[in-house]
Amino acid sequence: METNMTPQESLQLIESMIGQAKKSFSRMSFYFLLWGMLLIGAMIATYLLRGVEGVWSQGGAWGVAGALGGVISSIYGARQDKAESVANPMDRITGWVWATFVITMIIMIVCTSGKGQDPGAMITLLTGLPTFLTGQIMRFRPLILGGILFWIAGIAMYFTGDALTLTLLYCGAMLFGYIVPGIMLKRQEDVVRTA
Amino acid sequence: MSFAPLDPILHNQLRLAVVSLLVSLEEADFTFILEKTGATRGNLSVQITNLQEAGYLKVTKTFKDNYPNTKCQLTAKGVKAFEGYVKAIKEYLKT
Repeated sequence: METNMTPQESLQLIESMIGQAKKSFSRMSFYFLLWGMLLIGAMIATYLLRGVEGVWSQGGAWGVAGALGGVISSIYGARQDKAESVANPMDRITGWVWATFVITMIIMIVCTSGKGQDPGAMITLLTGLPTFLTGQIMRFRPLILGGILFWIAGIAMYFTGDALTLTLLYCGAMLFGYIVPGIMLKRQEDVVRTA
Repeated sequence: MSFAPLDPILHNQLRLAVVSLLVSLEEADFTFILEKTGATRGNLSVQITNLQEAGYLKVTKTFKDNYPNTKCQLTAKGVKAFEGYVKAIKEYLKT
């Protein structure tokens, strides 16, 4: 490596290295794919079991999906943290964005369920926020669009009471807000990691 | 018109690459820096030591999966020096 660099070469080197650092995000696609599939499964199960008496008609499937997703995400996250060779502040910010989302969502579920209301539309609206922000932080347009889609779906869900329409709106938002961006993100991560 | 002299510690391709890489990260392993800079292990090790001696880098030696692991972190002095270096080269480029 040489010492005699022109200011132009120095600037190019700085830009190139900062660009390399920006590509060092942790793998996020796993979470979008995992939660997308689990929540679509929970929504379909809730729809199919809506006439059944007991816990399944009262959101049991959401509890199972939440617990399963929480355990798998925690194990995956702990392994990933151990394996990572770099600490990117953007990862930490993204992590806090999702943590605040989960806290707000739990409070919302407790409050609305206590009053006998369905929290689905509000949670879908809320899901738009971390999805949109993650897309902006990562500069990944499919997630930005996914966030906007959650907002649109949330508004539409708020004005409908039909179970099938609610199910289709939620599953559609999850498919195009989590799963499709998750697949695209996975492809991008694979390219960056093998480059 | 007089120009501010460029920091001799940073005006080296590999040292500048290391600092530029670390400026937007909290910390990075030696292997990550090695991979991103494309330097040789020996040269990188020497330049990291130079940056550490200048007070620009904080180097922590730990173990990862039973193997030695070197973590590098830019210090406040390193960030300030980098900002000064960028400002200086921008002045050069203006002319």
